[in-house]
Amino acid sequence: MSSMREIKNRINATAKTSQITKAMNMVSASKLRKVDKQNRAFQPTRERIKQVLEDILSTYFEVSHPLLIPREIKRTGYILVTSDRGLAGPYNNNLLKTFKAHLAKNHVSNDEFIVGTIGFKGFSFCKRNQYPMINTESVNSRDEIEFIDFQVMSRAFIKDYLDHKVDKIVVFYNHYINTLTQTIATEELLPITSLVNKREKKVSEFLFEPSPQAVIDSLLPIYLENRLFGIILDAKTSEHAARMTAMKNATDNAEEVISKLNLYYNRARQNAITIELTDIIGGANAVN
Amino acid sequence: MKIIVVTPEGELYNEEVTSVVVASESNGEYGILSGHLPIVSTIDTGYIKMTYDQLTYYVVIVNGLVQNQHDIITVIAQDAYIGESKESAFENLFKIRKARIDSNKQRNLELAMAENELKKQIKQTGAGKL
Repeated sequence: MSSMREIKNRINATAKTSQITKAMNMVSASKLRKVDKQNRAFQPTRERIKQVLEDILSTYFEVSHPLLIPREIKRTGYILVTSDRGLAGPYNNNLLKTFKAHLAKNHVSNDEFIVGTIGFKGFSFCKRNQYPMINTESVNSRDEIEFIDFQVMSRAFIKDYLDHKVDKIVVFYNHYINTLTQTIATEELLPITSLVNKREKKVSEFLFEPSPQAVIDSLLPIYLENRLFGIILDAKTSEHAARMTAMKNATDNAEEVISKLNLYYNRARQNAITIELTDIIGGANAVN
Repeated sequence: MKIIVVTPEGELYNEEVTSVVVASESNGEYGILSGHLPIVSTIDTGYIKMTYDQLTYYVVIVNGLVQNQHDIITVIAQDAYIGESKESAFENLFKIRKARIDSNKQRNLELAMAENELKKQIKQTGAGKL
């Protein structure tokens, strides 16, 4: 059995760690609430842009855009939404594992796909595995994410799509269900197929300035980025939820370890006292 | 007539106005007065000039949608900054954007350094083998 001092040191260390994990749990909980609120507030905005697009597409048949037309898939673009920092339980690992399995199943060589990453974890993962990447620098996944953070990457992807370098773009992310469950989800960002299905002849109540085609041209990239932003918010919610759960578990485990160590400590203390007593009694007997 | 400017962070501006000028880099500019036909247009990078009596404000818009319906103008933007003159609003935008990009770069550097440090520490202490 280790000495009393060693056990005491371990108890102190574990207690300090549990303090940190507890604090992280509470921080994540409050961040989760904030992101969840932002996520909910963002939905109407996204719907509104979608409505305008649907309005144009269902009224003007002659309007079309390459982003709307599916074509034969030669090269796929992937966007991985991960976090910047770890200590979020299986949040990043699950996603990256699923992604790796997906690549192994669907692609033969590295020329068939290109990856864009959001978050440092995904970036270093792709670098380690030597996947072809669209961003040379990691795209930050901050707690208050802004469009400017990932716009360089999303615009590069749209440009590649228009230049026929990429024929499909799929996003991998953690979808938030509730604080205890998050699942890996995939969403096809490009080509946009969800808008075109209902084409009915009707008269639009809006005037489009300067022309419906021009509005579509500039609105489609915005719509795409808004969708990506929504996905990132969803992933952020999952991240905080995952971290919250992981840190809660860590705190609980630390408490368990401390109570066990306390038991050992008391046993060691008793042992020491017993030895001391026998020493004294033995000494006293020897004198008598 | 009312104007509502919305960004991902929430509502930026929600006020009564008498006239609005929408200016965009690629599409030129046009004005909206009360009673205008329902209109939809986009702004790549541009500004909206809002006038209420004698007061004039400028809102710089990045990648936005302008929609006018029943004398309510809704502007949905990815980024929007308000200023008292066109120049100050644009300056504000560029300053904030530049600061953001710089801080992102700094963060990347810090994260890479922190990761290396962590790897070193794990090797040194033999954590995970306890």
